[in-house]
Amino acid sequence: MRPDDRQYLPSHEWVKLDEHTATSGITDFAVDELCSGNEGGLVYCDLPELGRVVDAGETFGEIESVKAVSDLNSPVSGEVVEVNPEIEDHLEILSDDPWDRGWLIRVKLSSDHVAKPELLDVVAYEELIAEKE
Amino acid sequence: MGLDGALLEDADAPPTMRFYSWSPPALSLGYFQRFAEVPAASEAAVVVRRITGGGAIHHANELTFSIATSLGNPLFQGPVTRSYARIHELVCAALSKLGCEAALRGDGTLLSDAQATGMCFHHSTALDIAWAGRKGVGSAQRRTGGRVLHHGSIKLGSSQYDTGVAELDGIADPSELAWELTEVFREQAGIRLQPGVPTREERMLADELGERALDRDFVRRR
Repeated sequence: MRPDDRQYLPSHEWVKLDEHTATSGITDFAVDELCSGNEGGLVYCDLPELGRVVDAGETFGEIESVKAVSDLNSPVSGEVVEVNPEIEDHLEILSDDPWDRGWLIRVKLSSDHVAKPELLDVVAYEELIAEKE
Repeated sequence: MGLDGALLEDADAPPTMRFYSWSPPALSLGYFQRFAEVPAASEAAVVVRRITGGGAIHHANELTFSIATSLGNPLFQGPVTRSYARIHELVCAALSKLGCEAALRGDGTLLSDAQATGMCFHHSTALDIAWAGRKGVGSAQRRTGGRVLHHGSIKLGSSQYDTGVAELDGIADPSELAWELTEVFREQAGIRLQPGVPTREERMLADELGERALDRDFVRRR
């Protein structure tokens, strides 16, 4: 069972909400789709500058694996206030621990933030994954 | 190549496969490549940056093909590596019909592997297509908004910057390759290609994206 303390996008990003901030990353399923268990397959991750404002559903970064560039989508709207400084040089963290050490960005939620209907709880996300496997 | 990007972005576009060659020949950089890490980029007369990943390709003496479709397409479902495997199987079958014993590299290295050139054909992985111990097909993808663009480059032989690659004996015209690929997609994947033309909106976006691919700032963005 994947963590139940966060929500998920169908495009396989997760978000963990605090009172005013949201931490996002990608799921183990996303990592496996990208590099099929070969952590060396992840070659580059481009994350946003601090202060960038992202909208829910908007691309906040890009990741390259096995010569394929894929979008990273933001589950929430707000201002990027922190970016994981370890990721760019240590992409293996995404394979080792996508849920904690592998977080990608922290966003200060916009004042008009409302939970998007596309966000899934862990049960719904597991069902989505089961359909794909 | 701008049209490939337009077909990727157009969610209403039908699954589309394109075949083309480049005039004049150009060097394309992978989306994330550093300009300074590809020595040929400082020498080539024309340099563009692709939106797909991977290494640099000298588009000379080769056939480029692209596939733009949704990620729900059976060719692309599942892990990235599975999609390469499916497409490479079809490309190998087409090359086989032309008398070329192409196969996935598997373990080991290739005679075409070379250090520090940044060129796609000088770097090989287990899933790459090779014959006579040399890489002959380059592949890369872009995935965005539930859609995917797959780029493939099939070499007829070496060129100024893609040195030491596999030679496709007896094929003088890239269109022969395109024809065999069309046949194999129909016979082995049940995909019947039909002629089509881009919409006005796709052509306009293609012009914009084509200009961006050539733009000096975009080419040298890294």
